[in-house]
Amino acid sequence: MYSKKTVIANNTGLHARPASDFIANATKFKSRIFIKRLDSGDEANAKSIIMLLSLALDKGTEVEIYAEGEDEITAVNSLIDLIDSKFGEDK
Amino acid sequence: MKYEGNSVSEGIAVGEVYLYTPFIPRIQEETIPESQTAEEVAQYQTAKERAKRELDKIKNKLEQEKDEKAKIFSAHLDILFDTVMDEDIIFFITNKKYSSSYAVSSIFDKYAKMLDKVADELIRERAADIRDVKNRLLRNLRGIEEKNLSILEKPAIVVAHDLTPSDTATLDRKNVLAIISETGGETSHTAIIAKSYGIPAVLGVKNMMSVLRQDEKVIVDAVKGEIFTEPSAEQIEYYLEEKQKYAENAKKIKEFISVQPVMQDGHNIGVYLNIGSAKPQELEGSVYVDGVGLFRTEFLFLGKEQLPTEEEQFTIYRKVLTTYGEKPVILRTLDIGGDKTVSYMDLPIEENPFLGNRALRLCFSHPEIFKTQLKAAYRASVYGNLWLMLPMVGSLDDIRKAKVFIEEVKTELRQNAIAYSENVKVGIMIEIPSIALIADKAAKEVDFASFGTNDLCQYLTAVDRMNPQISEYYQSYHPAMFRLMGYATEAFAKLGKPVSVCGELGGDLLAPAVLIGLGINKLSMGIGSVARTKKLITHLSFEKAKKLAAAVKEMSTAAEVEQYLKSELSEILQ
Repeated sequence: MYSKKTVIANNTGLHARPASDFIANATKFKSRIFIKRLDSGDEANAKSIIMLLSLALDKGTEVEIYAEGEDEITAVNSLIDLIDSKFGEDK
Repeated sequence: MKYEGNSVSEGIAVGEVYLYTPFIPRIQEETIPESQTAEEVAQYQTAKERAKRELDKIKNKLEQEKDEKAKIFSAHLDILFDTVMDEDIIFFITNKKYSSSYAVSSIFDKYAKMLDKVADELIRERAADIRDVKNRLLRNLRGIEEKNLSILEKPAIVVAHDLTPSDTATLDRKNVLAIISETGGETSHTAIIAKSYGIPAVLGVKNMMSVLRQDEKVIVDAVKGEIFTEPSAEQIEYYLEEKQKYAENAKKIKEFISVQPVMQDGHNIGVYLNIGSAKPQELEGSVYVDGVGLFRTEFLFLGKEQLPTEEEQFTIYRKVLTTYGEKPVILRTLDIGGDKTVSYMDLPIEENPFLGNRALRLCFSHPEIFKTQLKAAYRASVYGNLWLMLPMVGSLDDIRKAKVFIEEVKTELRQNAIAYSENVKVGIMIEIPSIALIADKAAKEVDFASFGTNDLCQYLTAVDRMNPQISEYYQSYHPAMFRLMGYATEAFAKLGKPVSVCGELGGDLLAPAVLIGLGINKLSMGIGSVARTKKLITHLSFEKAKKLAAAVKEMSTAAEVEQYLKSELSEILQ
């Protein structure tokens, strides 16, 4: 298992398009991937839009992404990079 | 044949009928034999594939047209392919031996309910998307073709028994030429949407669904509220010309949207907006008006699974106040009860809801709800120019009681070192005749007043405005209306306190001329009436308005008033 932490940095948080982009990226990987809110401890399957939305991840929320499977390292790094890129919201 | 109904959004259309019958899933718990599970799973997969094809098609079309709504359908595709729901559905079919329809229905409902509970408003709205996708899947499981108003193959006149908010929210505005429905009146949801989109609409036309055939050609005259079937070539030609004329006139009126509402003799009138939510299209109107004359806060409470939190309300109020900056925003405190009910509050059914525990009365009997709203509003007050308006005030007791709540809330905020503005004005809606008749007393205790003419008319003439049987008795031009409003306005004017109108009369075709003449210098209305009302204001002199008001107060019937105003204002109305 591989995991990493980061903070949601884009203004709209993981809703709408960013959530959709996140799922599209996560489903490319074979590993099982989870995303966890560090303040409440709630976690969700990172490949499910519904579960992701239910976490209500706003800007400033600290999260941990962890994965288990053959491509776990690339999966986690790729998703962390996506969050840190602010989903292209800042120009 | 000619049919008649209520014209709620003016315009003319000639086109072919599109009969809209929404798919209503009827699902019951059913189990299947073990041997059938593989087949049920396969059926579910096929339905999912079909649903995907439908969504792709809609999405691609909207993307080509650069329509913002493409995003909605892209989100629906995400939901359709949600891995967790997919696994759960297959598990329900293979292990619990549920039929595919029942499995889909229960799993989608489960997750929609989960999102209903999320505090974030934007996320809660996604629950509606989950339910939409559920219906799409269930329909495909039944092998029924799609009927959807968000994407029409060609321009058409939409005919329905009734339209739900979700039907109208995604309406294909380019292709809907007009709307005809069997139910609904002036204040229905469909009417409001049709008006804001500028789509001609005639509502409340009985039996239309059985009278009209798919693709048959009809004429809709939503100026007069008439529908013609099997039109002759001459009729079609005539109405196409009328349509052209109507469009040219509407364009001319539109030019008035950005003018300053100053009368011929230099008298200034404030034109304000009625808003029902904080959606972008409502906020964009801010540049054309002097403020918000009525911010209905009910939308935060209606159609939800639970009460909105203080934080949610604060966020929305702040958004509206920030948008309007120094311009006043008159926020009406919660007005539910009567025709507006909420499921989660479990309110008892009343014999006479309009005379019952509604609006301010309901707030007094649910102090926590009232205080939460006041707190959110006062917290937001530092972001703009907040005016607080109390609905359904009948006596000074009501005003004084509400003020105690307001003081309590302010004290709590101070104790918690939370900032609020000391300049918030507190005023009342005048919609109950009793308060209008002691307006001189009320004016001493509040900062402003606004006439809610819909309810004022209902209570003054003793006519239930929701009862179509007696609609002829609902006369908003009743001379008593103008006498009463004139009386109350004078009382407020004596103390130099502003009076406005935020009911339907404020944006009416004729009434604003009289209201101004009575001394009311602020009119609030829906965005659709702004340009027309500004045109009326700029073409009228204050002297003339006063003359009209004086004459109308001496008339005997509503019909007399209407006829008089039509003839006096005929040049301006052209």
